[in-house]
Amino acid sequence: MSYEYFMSMLIPMLEGAKATVLLFVIAIVLSIPLGFLLTLAVRSSIKPISYLAQTFIYVMRGTPLLLQLLFFVFGLPLLPVIGEYLVLDRFVAATLAFILNYSAYFAEIFRGGLISIDKGQYEAAQVLGLSKWQTTVRVILPQMFRVTLPPIANESVSLVKDTALLYAVAVPELLHYAQTVVNRDFTIIPFFIAAGIYLLIAFGLTVVFKYLERKLQYE
Amino acid sequence: MSFIEVRNLQKSFGPLEVLKDISFDVQKNDVMAIIGPSGSGKSTMLRSLIKLEQVGGGSIIVDGDYLVKDGIYTNPTDSKMINSKMGMVFQQFNLFPHLTVKQNLELAPKLVKKEKTEDYGHRSIELLEKVGLASKANELPSRLSGGQKQRVAIARALMMNPDILLFDEPTSALDPQLTKEVLEVMKNLAEEHMTMIVVTHEMEFASNVANHVIFMDDGKIVEAGTPDEVIKSPKELRTKRFLNYELNK
Repeated sequence: MSYEYFMSMLIPMLEGAKATVLLFVIAIVLSIPLGFLLTLAVRSSIKPISYLAQTFIYVMRGTPLLLQLLFFVFGLPLLPVIGEYLVLDRFVAATLAFILNYSAYFAEIFRGGLISIDKGQYEAAQVLGLSKWQTTVRVILPQMFRVTLPPIANESVSLVKDTALLYAVAVPELLHYAQTVVNRDFTIIPFFIAAGIYLLIAFGLTVVFKYLERKLQYE
Repeated sequence: MSFIEVRNLQKSFGPLEVLKDISFDVQKNDVMAIIGPSGSGKSTMLRSLIKLEQVGGGSIIVDGDYLVKDGIYTNPTDSKMINSKMGMVFQQFNLFPHLTVKQNLELAPKLVKKEKTEDYGHRSIELLEKVGLASKANELPSRLSGGQKQRVAIARALMMNPDILLFDEPTSALDPQLTKEVLEVMKNLAEEHMTMIVVTHEMEFASNVANHVIFMDDGKIVEAGTPDEVIKSPKELRTKRFLNYELNK
């Protein structure tokens, strides 16, 4: 196999990897804060907000991501009356589905993190006179973040792999280009290249999260 | 006027009455020891003073201001002001594990009192020297022994310049050797006339350092007085039994 031929496979795949990485970055950056807001909503003393958030999490975790993707990309425009205003770019619609789906998982991770924090931390902050906001931001969140880092890392790697579901809603990404070359040239090599690229991204993530874990270590 | 007046304090957890008509006074510079068997309500009573527990009835007056009047709490602004006159040390230390020793001391002065770095920076070092831990200023709490953690917790409470310190079984999580170093710090504070209320099982501390002792059992104050009265020559049978058990442990 010549170098030129190899590059003719690799370059479109790298192009596709761009979509993969872009989706990953947008989804992770938006779903983590959204997930945290959902956790707060679940813990809210205002019952309707809490129930709404719990229902949302239940639906998002209880139905397949693929179904949600199909719903957002192809289903929304079919809704009566409002459907015609919901014709989104496929990539945008798919990204939205990813953000909402992953925010539900992150919400559950953060909820677990908050439960693990000793109530003595709240009491110590209270007797020192810290406000609720100061307690949350300066005492609770740093500890919650440290505790939840390993499951967040795990979820991030899952997200990288789940981006391949874009294939099903016809948004070109890494796997799509790999499959195209496989069909065109009758070769299995693009699958290996694709696997290599996914592994490379996962490896990068692992390194970053391991670094964060070490840096935030306090035990 | 007493610094703290507690009148007819009452509290229940569901049908279980944990505080039954508790009344006592604490004067400035008093060191009051509260003793009693587990489940007697002594910790709940102490925690009520700084609003970690809500009482169902009675009054708490701190430095002339009502925190609770006949079971009704004052507004949050005033209760915050009242609580700021008190510091608290917990059985489980409750240091912030993600902050260094020095940061633990400086967090509240910085955030709550909006002090400048020059002010709290000096004070934190001074207080760490006072509890013998200046060399640990930049360590994380996980690197300290239990006794060291508790001394840091005391220094952290002192950073806010409280008029009174509340101790909730400060040595119950420590082995005897570490207990000694914490009691030593508390004794020094007593000698500097810090006002303190100490819930404790350390009878020696109660006898030698406190000037008032309250014995609680079953949510009530059974006996109160000087250490000589309550510990050396108790009148009530329940006090005698408890002391017999504690002193022969």
